[in-house]
Amino acid sequence: MSKSSVKAAVSALCLGLFTCMGFVSEADAAAKCIKGDRKAPYTLGWANIYSVPTWMKQTEGTIAAEVEELKKQGLVDKLVITDAQGDANVQIQQIQSMIDADVDAILLIAGSSTAPARVIADACAKGIAIINFDSLVDTDQVTAKINTDSNEWGDTAAKWLINELGGKGKILVLNGPAGISVSDDRRKGANAALAANPGIEILAETNTAYNVAPAQEAVTSLLFAHPEIDGILSLGGALSAGAILAMDKQGRPMVPITGENARQFLELWKDKSLKSWATMQPNWLGGFAAYTAVQALEGKDVPAFVKVPLPVIDNSNIDGYLARAKDFPADGYIFSPYDEKLFGELLAAK
Amino acid sequence: MSNLAPTHEDRLYWPVQRQRNRSLYGLFVVVAAFVALYAYLFPGLLSVAGISKFAQSWLPLALVSMAQAILMLTGGISLAIGATVSLGAVIAATTMMGPLGVPGGIAAVAFSGLGIGALCGVIAIRLRLPAIIVTLAASFIIAGLALLILPRPGGAIPGWFSDLLAGNTPAALILLILAALLWKLYLATPLGLSLYAAGENPVGAYRAGVPVDTARIAAYALSGLLSTLAGLFIAAQTGSGDPVIGNAFTLNSIAAAVLGGVGFLGGRGTMRGAIAGSLLLSVMINVMFFLGFPPVAQYVAQGLIIIGAVALPEITRRFRRAR
Repeated sequence: MSKSSVKAAVSALCLGLFTCMGFVSEADAAAKCIKGDRKAPYTLGWANIYSVPTWMKQTEGTIAAEVEELKKQGLVDKLVITDAQGDANVQIQQIQSMIDADVDAILLIAGSSTAPARVIADACAKGIAIINFDSLVDTDQVTAKINTDSNEWGDTAAKWLINELGGKGKILVLNGPAGISVSDDRRKGANAALAANPGIEILAETNTAYNVAPAQEAVTSLLFAHPEIDGILSLGGALSAGAILAMDKQGRPMVPITGENARQFLELWKDKSLKSWATMQPNWLGGFAAYTAVQALEGKDVPAFVKVPLPVIDNSNIDGYLARAKDFPADGYIFSPYDEKLFGELLAAK
Repeated sequence: MSNLAPTHEDRLYWPVQRQRNRSLYGLFVVVAAFVALYAYLFPGLLSVAGISKFAQSWLPLALVSMAQAILMLTGGISLAIGATVSLGAVIAATTMMGPLGVPGGIAAVAFSGLGIGALCGVIAIRLRLPAIIVTLAASFIIAGLALLILPRPGGAIPGWFSDLLAGNTPAALILLILAALLWKLYLATPLGLSLYAAGENPVGAYRAGVPVDTARIAAYALSGLLSTLAGLFIAAQTGSGDPVIGNAFTLNSIAAAVLGGVGFLGGRGTMRGAIAGSLLLSVMINVMFFLGFPPVAQYVAQGLIIIGAVALPEITRRFRRAR
């Protein structure tokens, strides 16, 4: 985005000199991208990259629930959802359509950590609140980014596994798709701990979609190649479930494995009496993003980056998660409870 | 066709074009209807900025549809288009800020596209291997190369170049018109003339002295070029490179070409059809947004529109015959 086109956009929105000056002085107080010319009730747009996976459907559920809440408060009147079907180019096109339709806020799970940067900057220049969560974009032209720390995810998982193996053993590393920043960041996060423990030997790594079936297939073939495996560093919940299923089918002894709050993984964990570790990428990041967008549009200052803490799920508290399992889809994720009070606290935390 | 005597040209050119257009009228009507509906739903489309932004969304798909159509006209196909687009994007994003600069970056992108395309062509044509297998294997290699060059999204494109191609100017539309004109020019060259002949009746064409193999390999090279250029444009549009950005283009390019009446067996179809097909696929996304379709309905609607657009010419033909 060039400076001249920012100026053009600003001047197009400013009706006269006084409103322009008003905007300039206001800009410091309000959150980024917010110009204060948008009034409730707002139209929210959710630019999703892919709506089919269960994790996404659950996330959509938390957004829809939060929007219902905000509708009751008279703050939101409409939620528009797009699905780019996994194509980052289509996502850009749909964000452009949201700008054309002049929505008040765009909630974004990015299909590429770089591709939407320019179109987002366009939206930001038009005073649209952009709340980017889960899969982030490398740009500061957003109102706020909301996420857990993917590096910390990988680091904590690696440390737990290394500790469990006593610093020595042969492991598999299961990654999400190649070329995706979340999966890359989780893997990078594990690097330091792995490098510090030369006793840990990585037998093989996989890159699959965050789904059970492809992970099971990949691990199955690795099991044939490696008769001796001491542990599995899985960097995704569905991947862990796939790995356990693969080992179970071949009658292999279970080994320490990391993972996420995927219901299938947690149930297998309990079922096979494993010793495991998991964390959670909460689905309610979606609902939280909707809440944050409205807070920003209402003129409240919101932090540029909201780091949502990663909880630890281990043998001491897994029962608490499994007790609520029936409220979640069989192939879904058991996320922790949330409400607007929690959202407020997360926004207030620095 | 311009190589023939003018009188022949007058007699042959337009009837051939008319015949080729006949099966496309249905598609043209559908496309025009969708564009009109889009303009009705979003009047801003009819401004310079509106048309510019839309053309930017459409151009990459239009280019890869051309890339696929060229191959299909010769009886080939490529499953490596998506990976080649990604490769073009990462080469652009890693070279343009370096010592090569923008011109060097464009040259690197263009040569890699031509080279990879030609290589696939030589393997598939000279060794008489099925194009679908060769290009499937090539897609893994090319996708791997893209990931080697840029393991995760990154790189950069000079801001002025991004603004030039994908700012608030109709540069994308001009580029597309230019590509279509160059295609017309190419068809007038001996290799271009051989293209349809090599696709429709390779044995007959060979006996008539047409350089069938060369025409087909040239088609692969051009197809690679168009694919990496699509990647270059995406890199400019997004200001960066992404090693998996092109994935969806393989299937979409085939869908657009088939929608545009390009046959799988070679020699059947037109570039204008493929471009119209890509326009339909692209405009459909925006129309569904403005109609407020929920995502699940979009999947269904997309399928129905594609089937409808393919079936329409067939239905009208039968209807005409029945009368």
